[in-house]
Amino acid sequence: MNGWSGKILDIDLSTKTYKTYPLDMEMARMFIGGRGLGARLLWDLVGPEVDPLSPENVLIFTNGPLTGTGYQTSNRFSVTTKSPLTGTVLDANSGGFWGMQFKKTGYDALIVRGKSEQPVWIEIKNGEITFHDASDLWGMRVFAVTEKLGQNNNKRNVLCIGPAGENLSRIAAIMNDRERAAARGGPGAVMGSKNLKAIVVEGKERATINDPEKFKFLLYETKKLLAASPLTSQALPEFGTVVLMNIMNNIGALATRNHQQTQFEGAEAISGEELTEKYLVKNASCWACPIGCTRISKTEKVEGEGPEFESTWAFGAQCGIDDLPAIIEVNALCNDLGLDTISAGSTIACAMELSEKGYLDSDLRFGRADQLAPTVEAMAYRKDIGAELADGSLRLATKYGHAELSMSAKGMEMPAYDPRGLQGQGLLYATSNRGGCHMRGNMIGLEVLGLPKLVDRFQVQGKSAFVILNQNSNAAIDSLVICKFTNMGVADEYFARVLGAVTGVQYATGELIKTGERVWNLERLYNNREGFTTEHDTLPPRLLNEAPTDGPSKGWVSQLEPMLKEYYRTRGWDQNGVPTPKKLADLGLANLM
Amino acid sequence: MALIKLFANLRKLAGTKELSVTEETVGATLSALVEQYPSIKDVILDGSELRPHIVITVNGHNVTDLNASVNEQDVVAIFPPIAGG
Repeated sequence: MNGWSGKILDIDLSTKTYKTYPLDMEMARMFIGGRGLGARLLWDLVGPEVDPLSPENVLIFTNGPLTGTGYQTSNRFSVTTKSPLTGTVLDANSGGFWGMQFKKTGYDALIVRGKSEQPVWIEIKNGEITFHDASDLWGMRVFAVTEKLGQNNNKRNVLCIGPAGENLSRIAAIMNDRERAAARGGPGAVMGSKNLKAIVVEGKERATINDPEKFKFLLYETKKLLAASPLTSQALPEFGTVVLMNIMNNIGALATRNHQQTQFEGAEAISGEELTEKYLVKNASCWACPIGCTRISKTEKVEGEGPEFESTWAFGAQCGIDDLPAIIEVNALCNDLGLDTISAGSTIACAMELSEKGYLDSDLRFGRADQLAPTVEAMAYRKDIGAELADGSLRLATKYGHAELSMSAKGMEMPAYDPRGLQGQGLLYATSNRGGCHMRGNMIGLEVLGLPKLVDRFQVQGKSAFVILNQNSNAAIDSLVICKFTNMGVADEYFARVLGAVTGVQYATGELIKTGERVWNLERLYNNREGFTTEHDTLPPRLLNEAPTDGPSKGWVSQLEPMLKEYYRTRGWDQNGVPTPKKLADLGLANLM
Repeated sequence: MALIKLFANLRKLAGTKELSVTEETVGATLSALVEQYPSIKDVILDGSELRPHIVITVNGHNVTDLNASVNEQDVVAIFPPIAGG
């Protein structure tokens, strides 16, 4: 066996026991690893009767056959669970070093089930699994825990939750390597519900390669491809992801003040150009990454990773705030507390609108940078107004009788791109299996940047095919698991060649993307089984009914309904959004019905 | 006069964020721009053609046709290759 380690580690925290068993290789061929393997395992392990915060839910950590091989960006891992935020299938993946080190422990997947009576942390070191008392760590923040447990980037890696996860905030992240986050959908709360503070990995096993000579050549060729692409060799390293701020504002698709506007007058002050000129200390990289998009930023108060575009937007334009140092500082605070920055920022924005309209009795107001850090702190500890915001915007807005003011899809806060000016992006949010998310597919390349080709962003007819291709491609890449930015210099099909060289399992042309389609349909089946229907494939009423009154997207609302019908048809689903038996048979999923 | 706005590394190369022009098409606008700031020519043009991944908008709408018209009061934004998520 090559690429895969061939083993699953299954830990029950209720009994502090574990077992190992072989990876089902047919399952591995069909779902690869990462997100795909996680979804397939979750299908068997967690049914609709399970409360996401109960001991019966599981956390499934997966790597992939490319992880740790040294292939460019092969550092990532995925965590799969039933989301406490949305109730859907959830996978969140993260970069850094932990995923590579996890692979070196010799497992393809780690399943954590049950609940420890007392706080505990797990150490997986050179074949030994040890349960440690975490009473002294409970309450500590992420940076302190990471240091205390001996983080060493290339040798010993720490994954943990902060106070937000301990306090079961449904927007809590799982953090690794200090400042990397598997953030979306609340996996940190699931970890907290199990009284699990941290997982430390240290291993020596090396991934074996089926065809080392061919792999070496593909490694060389990929290096050349990434160096030749101005996106991966210049754009991302030089300005990071925040460079998108100005262009999204320029085209009138930068959600502003809880999506009340589509342009922010303070965009320039929180742009990538401003960050680079005034606050950038240096770049940094995840393991085996030649791109190096990570920013190390510094203000008078903090120095650390980030902020990324979405985090800068969430605490910036979405909250009507143009104070970049305050945004850098609240981003660092979220990392230390273990909170998802997108959901945290957008939930604060929702509270600001509720307060300004008199629905919520608080002094939160758009533009108040001084309110960011105290509010985030209160959210992580469920104190004062923070107790109201800790579970995301939909629960907050629903409690105060205005669910329509939550800018979320399936309960997950949407990212920066306003769907009124980006029709395909809106369809993508509405159909995303984990809720409003830009990482299940991203239409910005096609609708704005012309990557690989420009498609009219206001076009409705025919848009579903692009969205579906995007979603399937991302599901495949998430199952390898590598960084999606690699795909900006290297085509999807190329990864099938890499996979073949590493594993010896040959994926014919189109088969890797079909694997992504299989993963997407499995996730859809999971959500259908949880009771999600076509009525959940929607967007906030504001985006469907309230057109911007000025700017380049003036007069446009999301034309979701016709796109959705076309989407179901193109996917091979029935009009209720359920995959047909024919489609499932074609994907080898008929046995799941 | 139309206003040209530059972004990302184009600002550094040109030493300015924006400038005004009187040209009547996108292509003529670019020609005027690179004549004034030769350092950005190789970044945005390959001969007389736009290089891949260069994004140009006029009043916030993507433009790929260099013959597209530019009117007084228009804002022409030029972005070098950028990416993110």
